[in-house]
Amino acid sequence: MFDFAALVANENMKIFRRVRSWIMLGLLVLLTAAISIIASVTASSTIKMWDMTSMELMILIPLANIFCVIIAADIVASEFTNGTIKLLLIRPWTRSKVLLSKYVSLLIFVLITLAVVYVSTLLINSLVFGYEGGVMAQQVFGVLDPGMSAWSYMNQYFLLQLVSFIVTVTLAFMISAVFRSSALAIGLSLFIVLMSEVLSQLFSLVNKPWVDYVLFQHLNLTKYLRMDAALGGSNQDMMTLGFSLAVLAGYYIVFMALSWFVFTKRDVAA
Amino acid sequence: MSNLSQPIVQIKEVTKRIGSKTIIDNLSLDLPQGEVFGFLGPNGSGKTTTIRMMVGLMRMSKGDIIIGGSSIRTDYEKAIRHVGAIVENPEMYKYLTGYKNLLHYARMVPGISRNRIDEVIGLAGLDKRIDDKVKTYSLGMRQRLGVAQALLHKPSLLILDEPTNGLDPAGIRELRDYLRRLAAEEGTTVFVSSHLLSEMELMCDQVAIIQAGKLIDLRSLRPGGGASVGGTGLPAQVLFEVDQPDEAARVLQETIRTPDGVPVRLQVRAGEGAIVLDALRDDIAELNALLVAGGIRVYAIRSLSKSLEDQFLEVTGGESVV
Repeated sequence: MFDFAALVANENMKIFRRVRSWIMLGLLVLLTAAISIIASVTASSTIKMWDMTSMELMILIPLANIFCVIIAADIVASEFTNGTIKLLLIRPWTRSKVLLSKYVSLLIFVLITLAVVYVSTLLINSLVFGYEGGVMAQQVFGVLDPGMSAWSYMNQYFLLQLVSFIVTVTLAFMISAVFRSSALAIGLSLFIVLMSEVLSQLFSLVNKPWVDYVLFQHLNLTKYLRMDAALGGSNQDMMTLGFSLAVLAGYYIVFMALSWFVFTKRDVAA
Repeated sequence: MSNLSQPIVQIKEVTKRIGSKTIIDNLSLDLPQGEVFGFLGPNGSGKTTTIRMMVGLMRMSKGDIIIGGSSIRTDYEKAIRHVGAIVENPEMYKYLTGYKNLLHYARMVPGISRNRIDEVIGLAGLDKRIDDKVKTYSLGMRQRLGVAQALLHKPSLLILDEPTNGLDPAGIRELRDYLRRLAAEEGTTVFVSSHLLSEMELMCDQVAIIQAGKLIDLRSLRPGGGASVGGTGLPAQVLFEVDQPDEAARVLQETIRTPDGVPVRLQVRAGEGAIVLDALRDDIAELNALLVAGGIRVYAIRSLSKSLEDQFLEVTGGESVV
């Protein structure tokens, strides 16, 4: 078996040789800088670095998620839309490995995107407002646990975001592999991701036991960070982080299985 | 002739059904090594479907295809190593340069050096534009890039779907010469599908004609290779260009008769100033001598072998889409 890394390198080349990807990443940095600078110039009271970071994450994380979903929805479907899938598949690699290389490079893109958000928010806000050490998460992020530091919150927040990013990009990846049309895959995936908050609230109104197993109820994992472990959640919200992760894992397996099944079995007529 | 060696490709009783429609019906075909093999058929006859099955893009409903001794069904990674192909249009990553496109495919097969990439760029005549993005390429240049990517790993079987599409006359000629050389010198089997019958006639050693998913004819286009096209043993149509066609016909019909005294059958083409008749190769010189002795001036003699186009229309019944 020769080098699988070469396949991933190919996929990375196809992502990063497009202006699109650089615009996405650039926009995340630019937006952070713009918000911080405008806020520092126009604000009447003094703004602290962590407060600004907390606020910017509310904008940047959904935007980063959208960008990742666009890349995910396009990564398989665009090969079909452009007809390049034919030349890609007639190489000494099984379809599974070709698909896996795409998935791996997608995860790399997700990691890079989150890293860009992490570094740019912290760095830019430290530069603009001055670094502030020893801050507790309770003050800036509204966490109930008084012992958690802002740094610790930040790291856990990104870890949990990474999990929900992976679930949403895997969903988009599946849609991409099944529908084989870039436009449809991007549109449908974005719709699902953008509507997930609304759908989640809608499903909360349903008083049936299966509601707890709906995907949209579990995409917002960071809410568990803000809950006090001692309180164990209010009686209205019985779910725990473990339960949410288990449900997400279930969906993840279904998305992966479906992507692989469809991609490896179906005839290519593009 | 390398007919003794095993065929590089064996298509064995392949059937493809989509829904209730049978696209390919029990097709069997062997491709000998080192030949340029043409694949002809009207639109919708199943040419592209067959090619897609050969490269594993489509599954067969029944049968198997063996390439270089490995089944494309059960041993895909091994079988496909022998194959370089363009399926339909040579679609490339438009946002990458020509070079990056080649690099992309080169990375997918082990042992392709940078030198080899430069070599195929030279072969395809793309040296000047290789660092430009593919979106700036003309159709002909994309076609050349398509051929280049197919040749990267020196495949023993080259499958080209409509390779002359979009090439200018010089490009077509260059490609034709190159493919012939590839087959003759490196023993590469070239499997070409095309609608350009005259092109196939110049390029191929053998052609297979399919219609409605069935193989309906297989014929050799090289002299001495097969029986179908005017071999030495069979009479072929010969045209004599003369100054007085009617007089020439009279002279011949007076002299040449069958044993029962029936005059030879011939056709007078007064408009062209010519007569046409069936003759063996040995007879042609004598016919000429007869005409000259009869005071007829002969300007030209040529054999009217049927073009591939005529033969194609003859066997397919001239139907376009079935």
